[in-house]
Amino acid sequence: MRLILSIALGLAFILLSASAPVLAHHGFVVEFDEKKPITLVGVVTKMEFMNPHIYFYVDVKGKDGKVTNWALEGGPPNVLYRQGWRKDTVKPGDIVTVKGYRARDGSNLASCTTVTFPDGREISAGPGAVSQGGYKK
Amino acid sequence: MRNRFRASIVYAIPAYLVLVFLTACAGRTSSGSPQAAAPPDLNGVWSAPFTPDISKTLGHQPPFTPYAAERFKKEDEVDDPLTQCLPIGPARGIQAGIMPFQIVQTPTVTAILFENQHTFRIIHTDGRSHPADVDPTWFGDSIGKWDGDTLVVDTIGLNDRTWLDTAGHEHSDQLHLVERFQKIDTNNIKWTVTFEDPKFYTEPWSITLPITRQNTEIMSYSCEENEKDRVHLRRAKK
Repeated sequence: MRLILSIALGLAFILLSASAPVLAHHGFVVEFDEKKPITLVGVVTKMEFMNPHIYFYVDVKGKDGKVTNWALEGGPPNVLYRQGWRKDTVKPGDIVTVKGYRARDGSNLASCTTVTFPDGREISAGPGAVSQGGYKK
Repeated sequence: MRNRFRASIVYAIPAYLVLVFLTACAGRTSSGSPQAAAPPDLNGVWSAPFTPDISKTLGHQPPFTPYAAERFKKEDEVDDPLTQCLPIGPARGIQAGIMPFQIVQTPTVTAILFENQHTFRIIHTDGRSHPADVDPTWFGDSIGKWDGDTLVVDTIGLNDRTWLDTAGHEHSDQLHLVERFQKIDTNNIKWTVTFEDPKFYTEPWSITLPITRQNTEIMSYSCEENEKDRVHLRRAKK
């Protein structure tokens, strides 16, 4: 009974954490464009599970066969840790589908909202968009 | 034998009366009211809702002075001190969403340990006053006293480099904060903060937020560890 209660509370906490707003060290709109959603499919080349936001990098092959390395920014690692993430949740070699929003400066950088694995598992990667807790004045 | 018994009575009665008197005194404060119960226990890890725009909680813009109104119009999130990895400040630290804070309470001092930037506040509850000459700092000089179930914290001596929220509500080094941490029950605190700053606001104004206990521990946080965003930030078109 106690175990079931613990699991239920843990799940509730994860769900609450996933939907709760996040204050990191910068607002969403100063870096990313909510009007430019993007979906990237590729192979993870590097994970930086570090403050103030996690960064990971994905090689994405374009229609012309050219490979571009994209940088993806997620939430703060401590916030993601409480959601159940660990530093190897996304690791080099993983094939992922990433949803997010492009950087306003046009670089190959995007805010990452979700990561989906080939088996269909989808995980939240942080605030991502204004509607998910990012801030818009 | 009878004399010895009489002597013991002579000594025992005054001693008993003194004991009764001292016991009665111990149960009263200097004002003569019954002794207050021990202050509520605020120890634990807590969090208040993320409040990126304090005017939304207030229901309107705070009462800007003309100087502050002009500054607010031009303010841009790129200039947020947090973006530069600078300390969050005493009141904004409470409103930092799911980056929680820990309260460590002793009879003479209460500390608030913020996960955000790993900064902290020290609130003296030993009856001292503010120093006559305070050098402005990021978290100022805080003194607290108990008003029943409420810890009332008075803070001055703040520098003018923190923001009150992400929206860019600012303050000067004349900012005076009065916070009321009212313990509602085991898992809830009602937090009311009053901002008084004659340079930025024409009159004092307040907001109230619920603080709830978190089933977690505060974790490490270093803003500079892998900061890569600043070069990508762009000002909003104004």
